Amino acid sequence: MCRRFLIAVLGIAFACGSAAAQEAPASAAAVPAEDFKSLDQEVQALKKEVLDLNRELFVLEEELLFPANTQVAIFVSMDVGEFFALDSVTIRLDNKEVANYLYTPREAEALLKGGVHRVYIGNLRAGEHELIAIFTGQGPNARDYRRGATVKLEKGVGAKYVELKISDRASRAQPEFVVKQWE
Amino acid sequence: MTRLADRVQVRLHMNQIVARKIRRTALAAAGALCVALTAGAAEGNERPLVGTPQPVKDLHWGEVLFYFYQDDFLQALTRLGAAQDFNRLTHHTVEAELLKGGLYLSLGQHEEAGRIFRTLLNDNVPLDVRNRAWFYLAKVWYQRNYLQQAADALSSIRGALPGSLEPERHLLEAQVLMYLGRYDDAVRALERWQPTGDGSDAWSAYARFNIGVALVRTGRIDQAAQLLDAVGRIAAPTEELAALRDKANLALGYAWLKEGKPNEAKAVLQRVRLEGPQSNKALLGVGWADAAERRFTKALVPWLELRDRNLLDAAVQEAHLAIPYAYAQLDATRQAVEQYTLAVAAFEQESKRIDQSIAAIREGRLLDAIIENDPADKVGWYWQLQNLPDAPETRYLYHLLASHEFQEGLKNYRDLKLMQRNLASWELSLSAFEDMVDTRRKAFELRTPLLQQVLDRVDLDGLEARQRDLELRIGEIERENDVAALATAREREQWEKVLRIEQVLQRSDPGDPLVEEMREKARLIKGRLLWDFNSSYKARLWKVRKELRELNLAATEVRRRWVLVERAREEFPARTEGFARRVAGLKPRIADLNNRLASAAEAQNRYLAHIAIRELESQKQRLAEYSLQARFALASIYDRASSAAQPASGGAE
Repeated sequence: MCRRFLIAVLGIAFACGSAAAQEAPASAAAVPAEDFKSLDQEVQALKKEVLDLNRELFVLEEELLFPANTQVAIFVSMDVGEFFALDSVTIRLDNKEVANYLYTPREAEALLKGGVHRVYIGNLRAGEHELIAIFTGQGPNARDYRRGATVKLEKGVGAKYVELKISDRASRAQPEFVVKQWE
Repeated sequence: MTRLADRVQVRLHMNQIVARKIRRTALAAAGALCVALTAGAAEGNERPLVGTPQPVKDLHWGEVLFYFYQDDFLQALTRLGAAQDFNRLTHHTVEAELLKGGLYLSLGQHEEAGRIFRTLLNDNVPLDVRNRAWFYLAKVWYQRNYLQQAADALSSIRGALPGSLEPERHLLEAQVLMYLGRYDDAVRALERWQPTGDGSDAWSAYARFNIGVALVRTGRIDQAAQLLDAVGRIAAPTEELAALRDKANLALGYAWLKEGKPNEAKAVLQRVRLEGPQSNKALLGVGWADAAERRFTKALVPWLELRDRNLLDAAVQEAHLAIPYAYAQLDATRQAVEQYTLAVAAFEQESKRIDQSIAAIREGRLLDAIIENDPADKVGWYWQLQNLPDAPETRYLYHLLASHEFQEGLKNYRDLKLMQRNLASWELSLSAFEDMVDTRRKAFELRTPLLQQVLDRVDLDGLEARQRDLELRIGEIERENDVAALATAREREQWEKVLRIEQVLQRSDPGDPLVEEMREKARLIKGRLLWDFNSSYKARLWKVRKELRELNLAATEVRRRWVLVERAREEFPARTEGFARRVAGLKPRIADLNNRLASAAEAQNRYLAHIAIRELESQKQRLAEYSLQARFALASIYDRASSAAQPASGGAE
């Protein structure tokens, strides 16, 4: 009977042991850890290739569709955002609507953390153009808020970047919409 | 036995810590790096790798952060790489590389992340940042079973990590050392770090538990008992601490059983909660503790409680054997036979179900069942499967969920599938790229003749020659002080008229008083005109010089544009063909990668199925052994009964 007791207790040990064998990285199990490593390394290399290819495709897309000499990109950024909760942005270029973007709460949160969203990328001829940006959202006291900003753009030979910056004007407890041109 | 049991415990509790922390650390790790600032603050004590918030000085850097803050690491990494290619992150060079390392880490690319960190983590990077980078790297390497690399990374940390990362680091270090078989080093590492306070905090409890486990493994049970016993008595206001307390009691209980101290074992095992992940093993152990003291009636109480629980649990299976064993010890032969028979039937039934699971997995249904159950669509190393779907092929695999090997393999499989989808969407874009290349070609063919006509109409050389003549003329006027040459058209007309009048008057009779008067008038007018020319000469010369300079500039600009147009005309076709080649080259690359992704996913599938089947086979093997023991016990009982009956019947004869 004592022998049987031992067999039974060892049974538990076996049970635990079999589980541990799979969990312990260094254990000598039927499938050696090296198998996982070689497969893992292969997957790593493959993923790296896909990531590199992604970057190449992204670069090609921009070079092909939006060459630097005609490229114009419009970005949206937020600073603080106490007096304005952004819902959407509409962009008109030379009186033609080119973008209308509705922000998800997650995207708005990313903007508040310091992210900058490229809301539009397109092509423009060199010369003067008019940009109108319309922001909608909730202003002070949770009221619906809609504000527009107009700016004349001088498009030169290089790419043109425009930042639509929403910030708080604390002195007036109002949001402020600033258009900044980057070369 | 205890070592193995403890090993399970320690692994499980580390997995819980990892699961609990991992979401937060992924954010901080990845971003490590970042700049980022506020993300860490939102998560309490967690700090990003680069702790100082910095304003966005390059718009494209802000764009990378926009995706990073949404945990869209693939987009963030793609845009980061592209922005670097375009040289658009000139103000964030170091942060960009740090973030890149963190993003690779978050995408499970620990080798690439390690390469970047090693290159970057030099003396130019703040120590604080370096330390955290090594910590996160160690964590991923540990998870991926690169234990030596994990140990090396941890040993690269200098000084203390901030907040809760410091205790986590020590636990991780001990864990890595234990899996490397360096138990004494693990004990020393944990002893070096003594969490402050009264020991009631979670980190202190984990540390004492881990030291206890390491001591058990080195055979120092008495020392281990003190620590495990203390952890087994802690107040447990949270489920996490209650679970840890159960694990400590279970580990110590089985250590005492192994040491032949059943009474001590029972006292400790009875502290484990009746309902909880450890309760089955504890009930089994309590029964064995009584059995060791030959208190079989008492032993039956926990075992009978176990019998009605889920037969998938090894402790429940063993209880099916222990119950008839106890009845046999109590000479209740009929009940023993009955229970052994029931056990054999239950084991066989269970074994058949396992066979069905193995067959389903061999048909390749395992991963599909799991992945179908997974709604997320983002890659990431923090992802972990929490629950297996209830299907024949997955029912027996809960042990696997606790293993890094299975989780990491599954993560790889999932990432491979996501990348296949990613490439599929690019494949669609490729046809748009081809169309764009065609459009460029057609537009060029269409516009070239018009352009040529415009260029033909413009005689740039002639214009430049006229400009040179003009310059010479102005020089001559200046040299000869020809004030009249700068007259306005009206003045010029008047000047020429006066000159003509003078000529006529010269030919007229000088004695005629009318002629004399006319001459005087002409002289006066000429003098007046000359006066005007002289007085405005300098201003006019300055103006003409200025206009000439402007003309020069305009001419240079025209020439520059001309050259640009000519160059563009020459280069455009080559550039278009360059794009065409790039697009054409991408097609086979995508196809090739797709094939390789598919075969790697298949290999990963096979590998995971292999692990799963190995687990099921071991469960089946265990059931077979239990079944054999039950049959052997039954045979013994029948033998004894038969032997007891034979002399009696022989006597009768």
